[in-house]
Amino acid sequence: MPALPLSMRLLGHRDRWLFSAPKNRRKSLEFVSPFAPMSGSKVNLDVLNRDVAYSGEGISVKSLETDIRSEREVQDSKVGELKQLRDRNVNIQTAMADELKKLRKFSDYLNGTATKGGVWSGIKEVLSYIPGLSGLVLSQRSIEELLKQQYHVSARRVKDAAEYVDTLKQSEQELYEEINRINEKIVEMARNEREALNYVLELEKLQEQLKQEEQTLEAGSVEARDIQAQQDKVYAKLSEHSTNVQLYGSAEERYAMLKDNTRKLAETIRNLGQDIQQYTTAASIKLDMASAQIQAIGRAADASVVMLEMKKSLDVMTESMNVTTQFVSDTQVFFRSNLDTLLKELDTFDETTSQMLDENLKKSKEIEDARIAAAIQKAKAEQNEAAS
Amino acid sequence: MGLVTLHTQALRASAVDPYLKLLHRGLRAARLNNAFPDRRRLQASLDALRRAMDHGLYEELYLDSRTGLPNMATLTRVLTDQEIAPESLKKMPSREELVAREHQAEVFAQLLQKYDYYTYVGDKALAPVDTHRTLLRRHIPEKGEAAFRIEMTKLDGSGVYMHLVIELSQVSSLWRRAMIDLDEDGETAAADEAFRTLVYRCAHLDAETIFVRLHGIEGVHVERVTRGVIGPVIFWLPTTDGTRYTMELTDPRLAQGFAVWRGAASGKLQSPQMLLTCASDFAAIDVREERSNDPLSPLLSTTLQDSERPRYQDIRTRYPFRVFKDRKFVATKGLKPLAKEIMQAAGTRNLVYDLR
Repeated sequence: MPALPLSMRLLGHRDRWLFSAPKNRRKSLEFVSPFAPMSGSKVNLDVLNRDVAYSGEGISVKSLETDIRSEREVQDSKVGELKQLRDRNVNIQTAMADELKKLRKFSDYLNGTATKGGVWSGIKEVLSYIPGLSGLVLSQRSIEELLKQQYHVSARRVKDAAEYVDTLKQSEQELYEEINRINEKIVEMARNEREALNYVLELEKLQEQLKQEEQTLEAGSVEARDIQAQQDKVYAKLSEHSTNVQLYGSAEERYAMLKDNTRKLAETIRNLGQDIQQYTTAASIKLDMASAQIQAIGRAADASVVMLEMKKSLDVMTESMNVTTQFVSDTQVFFRSNLDTLLKELDTFDETTSQMLDENLKKSKEIEDARIAAAIQKAKAEQNEAAS
Repeated sequence: MGLVTLHTQALRASAVDPYLKLLHRGLRAARLNNAFPDRRRLQASLDALRRAMDHGLYEELYLDSRTGLPNMATLTRVLTDQEIAPESLKKMPSREELVAREHQAEVFAQLLQKYDYYTYVGDKALAPVDTHRTLLRRHIPEKGEAAFRIEMTKLDGSGVYMHLVIELSQVSSLWRRAMIDLDEDGETAAADEAFRTLVYRCAHLDAETIFVRLHGIEGVHVERVTRGVIGPVIFWLPTTDGTRYTMELTDPRLAQGFAVWRGAASGKLQSPQMLLTCASDFAAIDVREERSNDPLSPLLSTTLQDSERPRYQDIRTRYPFRVFKDRKFVATKGLKPLAKEIMQAAGTRNLVYDLR
């Protein structure tokens, strides 16, 4: 038998999880056994044979690790989606920056501010930036057609960006569903932990009673041996269920941490989605409202090359693209400041949990070693006694 | 209701569906031949718009208030939707999954709507905002002569949706720059950018003016210019909140006639009304009689000032073509009298199809 009572060891030195349980919960664990008398012992041993009603599929260090890992996979997949969005965001931003550059340059030349050889030579240069127009002169291309094409490109870019919103809304919803699932797990783990604690206390009481009864009996007598045999059974049960206390307590805390991270991720995604919606709605309204002007000005420009009006038209498109580019740019900052932090936290979470698991495994091994050492010690002591 | 921006009318909620349905039916009833834009593609765009509105993807439908037709923003919407659809569908969950989760959260119900819309729009031939192609009709290498057909469909800056067909031949020579180039095998043709732009810019002009403008190019002989124009469309939609849609009809006969009609008839009508007009305009060497049967567009010769008449006569003598203009109407019962009044005032006899 170990030097210290098992309950002391479990509740005092090595089981941090039990101490993390709230006081009121421990209070509720007070248990009064009916203690019906048994043959050969006055102590009621029903406790040893009763089933402990744990919900779920049982728990072990390995199963806990597997469960947590599968829950983490949901988070990881959402983080993966965010990473993909970030990459896509970079692509869109690059494309939009390119479009804006063309529009601005075109606008500047029309404004006459960036021309060295006059407006017309400037426009020729600018046209070389527009796809398919390389090397053409202005008179060879309809401004109306050009503006319509640019309008189409702008509308497409805004729509590309707006498509993020659906993905993000879906991810957010799935994460909240995940939080619900995790909450159920937390409740289940807490309930099981309470169940295990109750049982451990019952066993501890029984152990105490058996010890007291043993003291009233003659050492080495059949009755004393019988009591010792019962104590061994109690010890085995205590060992099994105190491990459960530890595992369920650990699972509860780890699921709670997982929930916190999942909520952070969901909130990050929601904020990002709202920002995107705001930006793209603004850009799309601008484009909707500008379409008639763009067409009218293009037409006028074709007829008489109305530079000033044409510049206004380009400015409208530039403004709309600006709004969207601003959003894409802000989103990059958002990704940097939120996603990266989140990822770091998740990594820390992983590190902490694996440390915890390692500690748990180490402690379990220590307990087991002590148990084996005690058994060997006893076996040797008995051997020595017989030899003398 | 006033305009939301330049020449832009926004149709909302209950007005959208009757408008789109009537226009869709009107296009079919108009029996448009290949001188007009492909009505099936325009109908496909209208169907796509109806679905998009039904599925809650858009809240408003923007029309050109001068012509009553969907404007550039509206036609571009469905085109860009179609462009992004394949990629978006790839990222969405399967339809089965969306159906299963439809009632779990609003986002899945919305995604299901979008999924169906994107799937629908994916393979449809929609109405282009602009499209242009050059076809080779015949090629006689020994004479250095080739005949072409240029086709252009365009949402014109005036708000009408039009199709322009120009049949011409070109004689090449070493010193002359070809407006249309043949490939090495002499099988396909591509218009020179400048020529293409010229056609694009002239598309809003009537067939007669385009004929004269192109025929004047060295080495080019125009045989036929055909313009088919859809619009303007007049509509009246009863709304529960008393909304009245503003139209900015540019033709004074149409505008005045509609204003009088609206004052007299609209209060008595309960059902949506629409008058769709489709004009055709030919300038060709094989037209038998020069005439305009279009009550909204008389012949150029009848509107010229006296000072311009001699120059015009000179051009007409040099280019032996004739002009024929026509317009047909498709009208609901309530707006049929307006079509008849317009014809009566102009002294034309036009086809008026029923729009039911």
